[in-house]
Amino acid sequence: MHPVDPRISAPGRRSVLNWLLGLWGGGVCGAVLYPVARYLAPPDVPEAATQSVLAGSAQSLVPNSGRVVPFGSRPAIVIRTAGGDLRAFSATCTHLDCTVQYRPDLQRIWCACHNGQYDLTGRNVAGPPPRPLEAFDVNVNDDQIALSRRS
Amino acid sequence: MRSGRIRGWLDERLPIGDVIETLRHKTVPHHRYSLWYYFGGMTLFLFGIQVGTGALLLLYYRPSAAEAYESVQFIVTRVPFGWLVRSIHAWSANLMVASAVAHLFSVLFLHAYRRPRELTWLSGVLLLLLTLAFGFTGYLLPWNEVSFFATRVGTDIAAAVPLIGRGIVRFMRGGDDVTGATLTRLFGFHVAVLPAVATGLVALHLLLVQRHGMSVPPSVERRAAGDPAAVRAMPFIPHFLLRDLFAWTLVLAVLAALSTFYPWELGTKADPFAPAPAGIRPEWYFLWAFETLKHVPPAVAGINGELVAVAVMAAGALVALLLPFLAGHTPRTRRVVVWAGGAALVFMAIMTGLALSAVAP
Amino acid sequence: MRTTWAALIVLALWPARGSAQAPDPAAAFAGDVHASAGLTCAACHASQRPGSYSAPPRTAIAPLCATCHSDAAYMRRFDPQVRVDQFLQYQTSTHGRRMAAGETRVATCTDCHGAHGITRVRDARAPVAPLNVTTTCARCHADPARMQPHGRTATPPADWAASVHAAALLERGDTSAPTCAACHGSHGATPPGVTSVANVCAQCHLREAELFRASPKKDIFDAIGQPECLVCHNNHRIEPPSDHWVGVQEGAVCAQCHDASGDSAKTIGTMRQALDGLAAAVAAADVSVARAERAGMLVDDGRLALRAAREQQVQARVLVHAFAAEPFAAAAADGAASAQRALDAGEAASRELQVRRTGLGVATLLIIAFLVTLWIKVQRLPDLPPP
Repeated sequence: MHPVDPRISAPGRRSVLNWLLGLWGGGVCGAVLYPVARYLAPPDVPEAATQSVLAGSAQSLVPNSGRVVPFGSRPAIVIRTAGGDLRAFSATCTHLDCTVQYRPDLQRIWCACHNGQYDLTGRNVAGPPPRPLEAFDVNVNDDQIALSRRS
Repeated sequence: MRSGRIRGWLDERLPIGDVIETLRHKTVPHHRYSLWYYFGGMTLFLFGIQVGTGALLLLYYRPSAAEAYESVQFIVTRVPFGWLVRSIHAWSANLMVASAVAHLFSVLFLHAYRRPRELTWLSGVLLLLLTLAFGFTGYLLPWNEVSFFATRVGTDIAAAVPLIGRGIVRFMRGGDDVTGATLTRLFGFHVAVLPAVATGLVALHLLLVQRHGMSVPPSVERRAAGDPAAVRAMPFIPHFLLRDLFAWTLVLAVLAALSTFYPWELGTKADPFAPAPAGIRPEWYFLWAFETLKHVPPAVAGINGELVAVAVMAAGALVALLLPFLAGHTPRTRRVVVWAGGAALVFMAIMTGLALSAVAP
Repeated sequence: MRTTWAALIVLALWPARGSAQAPDPAAAFAGDVHASAGLTCAACHASQRPGSYSAPPRTAIAPLCATCHSDAAYMRRFDPQVRVDQFLQYQTSTHGRRMAAGETRVATCTDCHGAHGITRVRDARAPVAPLNVTTTCARCHADPARMQPHGRTATPPADWAASVHAAALLERGDTSAPTCAACHGSHGATPPGVTSVANVCAQCHLREAELFRASPKKDIFDAIGQPECLVCHNNHRIEPPSDHWVGVQEGAVCAQCHDASGDSAKTIGTMRQALDGLAAAVAAADVSVARAERAGMLVDDGRLALRAAREQQVQARVLVHAFAAEPFAAAAADGAASAQRALDAGEAASRELQVRRTGLGVATLLIIAFLVTLWIKVQRLPDLPPP
């Protein structure tokens, strides 16, 4: 393509140079395309669990029992009442941030740290907690419980 | 040869042969100032990086107040090389603004705006304003504390404009205050409206550059009259192109290093009800305006000080836009342009320096 | 003339006043809750002439207040849910019993509630509002001159002020934190008896109390007549407990009764080891995660695991109150596992950082090789044609 200039070094040396250029150039292109290709492939966890999260099997959550699951960076508690309803709340106690649990004997949500208690609507009914627990929406698809934040 | 047949097939249908033929004969003036010619292409290269990394980010980003921050966190922690794509996008934005400003001032000082390149200059200044708009709209998208308050402060400045000020603010914010509606709106500007306008302007700008070729500064022209060796013709292919490629690859390495050693931070999620933290400021390229507004007295000759400052800046932008039509052709007027441009540059540098030193702990 | 006499009488009777009120009773009464209920001076100063009111004798104050405040039917008019057993409780209290025996230098209603500017208990200005209770009690109970004749020390209020409960109440504003009234009662204020002090702590620290009662210690402490929680934790100066309380060496709390011989020493030693190990693991994990974060990595998995580890550390510390190896060991092991997960996440993040830098190094080398070759090629391009 270029006019051949006699001052250029011998064709052999020029093609070595071009070959090297192609080699390193290909390497640079690879160093760009490899991250792009990896980026395009969907990651193992397809989306951030911010708005909703799966909370396990619905069948295995028997009446009058509860289960604590992670929801984003904080824990959530899903409860099946004695009557069979599913309820879900934030599991972070509003007193000093301990993780609450379900007490089947009290049929209440209980915090072990300072004996705080919440009823099954999340309202703080006994002990130090100053505020109710945040409630989440519960849905069941194919035996999978899904919790989602209320907007 | 197979490649020859393919080339023939394509040549019959597409004007590739014509384009390559034109480029083979294209030359670029080579003189003591021709280093500055590379800044235009550099800005274009960085714009291409922005489009590429931006498209990649779009695959995972969610433009709503409830999910934006978490989606960026997801990109940076869970998506393979997501940290790299995001940091390159953020760093490249800053480098692009710097490159565009360098390009504008080099064109100014080398008087490349003069006839017949007035429209090139016009489209160029508009492209610079567009670049700043890209920066402003993109800054909010991670929805973190710093960007939320910077957007609120930045859009507040528009309220100083009389009559239409409130309207401008409502237009920019999608409401009276910075909310999720602002995020969605600025996102729409950032990924659709601004790129569409920018594509048109870039196409026009490149077409005009191709039409008129590179401008030779008046001083070099004068010297060339006496000494022909002052200006030589550098073939575009391969001399200029390979040097361009060199600069672009170097900048690519710089971007990769910046992203690895100084990754862009996530910040804390924006909370509209929290009080503004101390030291809120916009990105560095807006700092000079921010600092100027801080030093303006509350009232100048009875008029609101902020309004006066905004008006002066707007007037400055207008002068910059219409420069080719305002500046004359004599050496004296060109000297005025150089001094005015130099003064503006020094002023902006000093204001930026003041703003940065004020925040340093 | 009459006003001068009234003033002289007031001045003469001034030392007999029992409460520290603003010098102008009439002005203070304007903001009183009794005034807004429609009562006037005559309601309490019934037997006196207007203009020459004096304070009732101190032994008569509580019965006077009780004429209304113990009358359920009467009080219901103002507040359907109000309690009417305050006087009954007062009579059982140390203050009430001594007052009944004729000692007037003990607290009665007006000393704590005020006399003329009385506000509701929940009003933040009230001397008996949660944030003010300890200051009110301390007026007498921190005064050695007042306490000494009754054979008491004046240290409890200062001790309480140095406690975790004071920090919770005054620094964090946690109004559920106990003040004097929470443990001693307000109207029935009496130091809890030796066997009942634990019931008081158990109001909030139920888990620890349940564990203690199910443990061997309960019977032992009952037998030797020691109060349950106080032996290790003190009653007023309750400081943040520390892992080094567990042990048989000098300075450890267990060493009050246990020595290095016997099985219990082994159990104590194992527990202490587990606690120390857990604390070290959590600290190490925190350092690792923080280091990765400072270098720009996001380690939210590590933070989550660290949070769990800290909760499990608290659980393990609570399970010390079972005074047995088993449930404690399980909690400590859980905590150690979470701490390990957090440490691993932090280390993984730091390793990932190294991987990134290595990757950058490789890419940069490729780029440099490319640039060098390109530079050589550019140099070897034909010279520019002559002008």
